[in-house]
Amino acid sequence: MRRRKRMLNELDEDIQEHIARETQDNLDRGMSPEEARYAAMRKFGNVMQVKEEARDVWNLLWLEQLLEDMRFGLRLLRKNPGFTLVAILTLALGIGANAAVFSVVYAVLLRPLPYKDPASLLVLHETTPKVGDVSVSFPNFIDWRAASRTFRQMAAVQAVDFNLAGVTQPENISGDAVSPNFLSMMGVRPFLGRDFDASEEKPGTAPVLLLSFSLWQSHLGGDPNAVGKTITLDGRSFTIVGVLPPNYRSLDTTDVMLPIGVWATDNSGAIKERGERGDMVVIGRLAAGAGFGQARAEMEGIAARLAIEYPGSNDQFSVKLQPIRQAFVGDMKTAILVLFGAVLFVLLIACANVANLFLVRGASRTKEIALRIAFGASRGRIIRQMLTESLILACFGGVVGVGLALGGIRGMARLIPGDMLSGATVNLNGAVLLFVAGVVALAAFIFGLAPALHSTKPDVQSELKEGGRSSGGGVAQNRLRGALAVAEISLALVLLIGAGLMMKSLYRLLEVDPGFRPERVLTMGMDLRAQQYSEDPAVLNFWQQLIDRVSALPGVQSAAVGTVIPLTDSHSRSDVTIEGMALPTPGNFPHPDVHIVSPGYITALGIPLLRGRTFTDQDNEKAPLAGMINAMVARRFFPNEDPIGKRFMFGHPSAANPPKWYTVVGVVSDTRLYGLANPARLEVYVPFRQNPRNSMALVVKSGADPASLTSAIRDAVQSIDKDQPVFAVSTMQELVSNSVATRRMTLVLLGLFSGLALVLGAIGIYGVISYSVAQRTHEIGIRMALGAPRADVFRLVVGEGLKLAGAGITIGIAAAFGLARLLSSLLYGISATDFETFLGVAVLLALVALVACYVPARRAMRVDPTVALRYE
Amino acid sequence: MSTKEERERIELLQGTLDLLILRTLLLGPAHGHAIAKAIEFKSDDVLQVEQGSLYPALHRLIKRRWISVEEGTSENNRRAKFYKLTPTGRRQLTLETRKWDKLAGAIARILRPAGQEDES
Repeated sequence: MRRRKRMLNELDEDIQEHIARETQDNLDRGMSPEEARYAAMRKFGNVMQVKEEARDVWNLLWLEQLLEDMRFGLRLLRKNPGFTLVAILTLALGIGANAAVFSVVYAVLLRPLPYKDPASLLVLHETTPKVGDVSVSFPNFIDWRAASRTFRQMAAVQAVDFNLAGVTQPENISGDAVSPNFLSMMGVRPFLGRDFDASEEKPGTAPVLLLSFSLWQSHLGGDPNAVGKTITLDGRSFTIVGVLPPNYRSLDTTDVMLPIGVWATDNSGAIKERGERGDMVVIGRLAAGAGFGQARAEMEGIAARLAIEYPGSNDQFSVKLQPIRQAFVGDMKTAILVLFGAVLFVLLIACANVANLFLVRGASRTKEIALRIAFGASRGRIIRQMLTESLILACFGGVVGVGLALGGIRGMARLIPGDMLSGATVNLNGAVLLFVAGVVALAAFIFGLAPALHSTKPDVQSELKEGGRSSGGGVAQNRLRGALAVAEISLALVLLIGAGLMMKSLYRLLEVDPGFRPERVLTMGMDLRAQQYSEDPAVLNFWQQLIDRVSALPGVQSAAVGTVIPLTDSHSRSDVTIEGMALPTPGNFPHPDVHIVSPGYITALGIPLLRGRTFTDQDNEKAPLAGMINAMVARRFFPNEDPIGKRFMFGHPSAANPPKWYTVVGVVSDTRLYGLANPARLEVYVPFRQNPRNSMALVVKSGADPASLTSAIRDAVQSIDKDQPVFAVSTMQELVSNSVATRRMTLVLLGLFSGLALVLGAIGIYGVISYSVAQRTHEIGIRMALGAPRADVFRLVVGEGLKLAGAGITIGIAAAFGLARLLSSLLYGISATDFETFLGVAVLLALVALVACYVPARRAMRVDPTVALRYE
Repeated sequence: MSTKEERERIELLQGTLDLLILRTLLLGPAHGHAIAKAIEFKSDDVLQVEQGSLYPALHRLIKRRWISVEEGTSENNRRAKFYKLTPTGRRQLTLETRKWDKLAGAIARILRPAGQEDES
């Protein structure tokens, strides 16, 4: 270090000394003093360059240069506040949008799941062509676990729920009943207390449970001595053996966790029927060395064997395996990746815009740069300096962008329905900041490099000789700027087409007739689990009272109960046999959705009655069994006859299942139970008094805002049973809206990003054209002086802009043709290459480009030839 | 300074300047200008060294501790820096010279394969 300082300090002196000696030598050779000094200097070479190179020898130099460059860059940026502000804002928009979307990408797709080695965890469902993925039956799980070699461990997870007295009002909580090895297999250790014991899988063991961290906080105040205490669920007492860790994540809500034994068995202790599929998934951990393909092949083999062995329950049932990450991500993945791609496009457009700004400014700096090169600065050195400047700008953009992202993340969190994130928290964390840093560096490079390379091209040195007559640029620069504008337009076009396609499909989707009227309908769930509801009459009495009291509330048009609410994920299906049909194999019976409803149900939901009658109060436990079918059942099974009076039964007829025939009394419209985009399925309806159920949903049609009825209805429930919780309160319209939430989120964000892209693209083309007009003022002046009509000048300028726009649109359409396919799974009712959308967007973009050129064209038209000619 | 003379000068190969400096200093300490003169003189003015380029090279050699520097007064009582070969530098010179001989020999063999030697 000291050597370095001394050497560099004395370098000047050394050089002077050297030149003095050489001059002396020359004098000795008989030159004139002037000549001697000049020759000595020439022989020595470029003093600046020598000094620079000598400094280069002592490294650390880069740091010094960096600091110097940064000071210089900051000074330049301060000197052009307008330029700086526009560039920073443009970058901040691009970077902010990227940070916001990346925070979702990270939360959903990247953040490690809080399990040990999550890559070897798979989720297993049963699957059948009739309905798709279904729950696993417990006996099948037992057989899978016994037969599988590719899985080291397997655990069943059954979704359960309970009524809990609660702190202020009765609540319904969710839980997972799991195999005792579940937590240890996942690599999760309880926060407090202990894990389950293997013996606790057996039925009849004392009821124990683990609390979720949040339930422990909210209901036990985080009591450190909670372990060993009891909690009462559904009137039964459970001993708390532990508390789950705060970061525990599961596929659904887990307020409590308990051993599965009690749930997988009936009261006699025998394992539940193989044909019963409740709400169970199986999670398995692959054995070392076993891969996904192997596991799938093995499980499909096991399922095929079980299907042959137990045709009654397993005919046509196979197994579906998916990596646990995929189970968590669900259908969000495509949407998220599409949006991520979209924001990257926005960033590229922003970079192109800033690069354009740099080029314009670079033009005015050509002389400065040429001068520095002449004084011996190397090209690399100047490029480095300019990139430092870009980096400073990008850093500012990044900081402002992070600020924007904070707001953006909040907005996005509101757009994404919580259950879709399955417990992932979207926030601005270290990973996002790291990503932003990467984006900043990348952006600085993208928008800084082209202008830096360009303005240091060797031929700019000729600028000096031109004496600054031209205001910079030249053909090459204009071509580069034009290319950037074309790129911006094509990127914007791709985004706009994406947004257009999403908009059109969402419109199509919302136009779909769901088969019911969601307007002004409120729904809520209730589950009668208290001891007093163990007998059917009490259950029926509760529902009847509820219907009567709620119907009497002011503002209520009709009230009813039913087991299935459309567009929620609770479904109930059953095989049915139609009287007189040829009996199919066990896997091929009709498998309709079953609605157990009160008489007012189709009225409250506005499901049209097509034929016959709906249920009445007379369809009660004493009356003959009655049923309604939907139009699809009527079409499929009674194509050429009147279905009224025909009969069906649930299940397959056999000695063990003597027929209980339901007589069809009415035909109703099909409903889209599984989402607007999913086709209607077979449905049957039966009266609730003939099929008492403890768990039902209340459906209320009101005259005004349905949500305002909530508290009155809660009061009505409490007046019948003060301990009965109400849950899942939601208007039908909210359910409709949630059912298209992913698409709506994609549309809103894609729309936002493409709007941004459009504005930036328009600014880009505006900038290029107005700069070109400014450059050509002289030429335009001459043209006009020579008699060119103003309209021609106008056309000249607009034509130049439209040429760029045309190129951008052409490239964009080609790119969109390829890229729109990625959207396919999010589209509904249109193809990814929908002609109307493509045409509409192209026209829109052409119009915007026209407007962007209009202003500079007007300016060109008003050029006063005398002023223009005098100007230079 | 005829142009003819200048045309016959050869630009130095990258890195050879270092070698020449070390070789020059083998004869004893010298100051910058003297080193430049010596190189020019010994090569019969064939090698064209921009005298300035000497200095970064000297810095480079000091940094590698192949030469050292000390203050002194020159023949005509002017203050000057004298550069001196260090023991490491001496070893390095032997090494570099051997390397150079090898390289030069190899190149010569390629340019003038045996048997054509007398042609020129």
